Amino acid sequence: MPFNSQKNLISLTRALSLVFNRDKRAVSAVVSNVILTGAVIMVGFSVLSWMLSQSSISRMQYSEAVNADIDRLKERLGFEYVFYNGTSKSLLVYLINCGTVDNVNLTTVYISFANGTEIKAYSYSGFALKSFSGMIIADHKLNRGDEGYVVLSSLNFDSGNYLIRVATKRGSSFDYAFAV
Amino acid sequence: MSQLSGDPALITPLLFKEKIKRLLCDKRGFSSIVGAIFAVLAMMSLFTTVFLWMISQNTFYNEEVKARNQLEIDRLNERIKASRTNYTIYTNGKISVTTELQNIGPLSVQLTTIWVYISNASCNVYNFTRFSNAYLKAGANSTFNVEVSVAGISSSSTYKFTSWLITGRGNVVPLEEYTGKILIASVAQGIGALQNNFEDFKYYNVTKQGSIYVLANYPNGASGYLVNQGGEGIAFQVLVTNLDENERTIVLLPSSVLFSMFPTTEQQIRAAFWYIVNVNGSGVISSTYTPVTLSFGVETRLYFASYKIITGGDLFSPSKASFTKTAPVNLALIGTIGGSPYGQNIPFVSIYINN
Repeated sequence: MPFNSQKNLISLTRALSLVFNRDKRAVSAVVSNVILTGAVIMVGFSVLSWMLSQSSISRMQYSEAVNADIDRLKERLGFEYVFYNGTSKSLLVYLINCGTVDNVNLTTVYISFANGTEIKAYSYSGFALKSFSGMIIADHKLNRGDEGYVVLSSLNFDSGNYLIRVATKRGSSFDYAFAV
Repeated sequence: MSQLSGDPALITPLLFKEKIKRLLCDKRGFSSIVGAIFAVLAMMSLFTTVFLWMISQNTFYNEEVKARNQLEIDRLNERIKASRTNYTIYTNGKISVTTELQNIGPLSVQLTTIWVYISNASCNVYNFTRFSNAYLKAGANSTFNVEVSVAGISSSSTYKFTSWLITGRGNVVPLEEYTGKILIASVAQGIGALQNNFEDFKYYNVTKQGSIYVLANYPNGASGYLVNQGGEGIAFQVLVTNLDENERTIVLLPSSVLFSMFPTTEQQIRAAFWYIVNVNGSGVISSTYTPVTLSFGVETRLYFASYKIITGGDLFSPSKASFTKTAPVNLALIGTIGGSPYGQNIPFVSIYINN
């Protein structure tokens, strides 16, 4: 019996040793898999959130571009009258915002011959925009239905046909032909 | 093994089961699967949201483009006709612009501003008046009167006028003066500077109320072509318009008369006459006469009712036709045009008088 007991113990120890050795290999595989999976999940989430933030930025930019296009589409300026004062060499351009968007910001006014050859360009600070009551509109903006006139000075016109182009900050331009 | 190789029908299912078993037991590929799932989910969510969002943006943009096109269509469909425009210069440097507006388009129109440009050899001025709340419904007619202040003009000078209206949609509507086509009609109908409105020829019976003479049934009266004489006498109402080519003012003197000739016998004709009178807004005939002024392009009602010329001490007295039945009528007008003597005989209408 003692002999058998010792023999049995040895057998058990061997068996456990075998089992233990086999499980060791399995544990390392599981751990590595868990680590790998965790890493993949973490990287996945971070990539996902980064992509979402990037797409959000892109969407915002696209949205701004679309809205800008729409606002530009809604812009419309009508020319009520253009008067050239030969004595003061100034041109008065009477405008109405007949579009469907506010804040039509007049940035540049171009004067050219009828064939398109430019005579003069007035930048933002080079001309004054006034309301019909004579008040200066400092920000050069006309809201819906507003009327105003642009005063362009130092123009020496001979008799003939001319073109005027008014450009806005949103990128629209409005042309009008007039005779002196 | 020999059994498997001997039964080909069992090979495929067993291999498949084996493969599935291996796949499930093989932990080495798990992270790749999870990564792939994440990648697919990320891609799908991104593409779906971006795609849907872009569709919505495009729809939004297309709607705005449609709205913009509709605005352009509306702007092109705006049709306002402004005709019979008259200008009157006041002494205070204001100009009264009267015009007849007709919205012949399908849309209601907002009028924002009227512009007036005035010129002659020495003057070149313009101004505008803004409207706060001027609308014209589709199909509506309206007589439009507005005053525009223009510095440097005089009521005694002659000018050329140009005016136009600005609409809320940015259209420009020119105001057409009352000239051109009128002159063609005036030559045919009026033969001269005065045009007669044949459709608005009326008569009234003159009645006496105390010491004053009144037009019965004023202002309606009755058609002047068939006269049922009654009361103290007859008064005729004629609607004339000054269409002088040079736009001068005509002033009618008291000797202006509407007369008729009755062919009573083969050898004789008999006449009846009604001199010009003044009638106030209540239909009362003035006993004296103040010269009637006919401004260019303005329709003016003239009344003829007096038996004699109202001048000096001769006051109004009613006139009756002593003869009846059919008679041609002439309108003999005497006065001044632009300060110069003027006379015009309008071979008028025929009337039939019953007693």
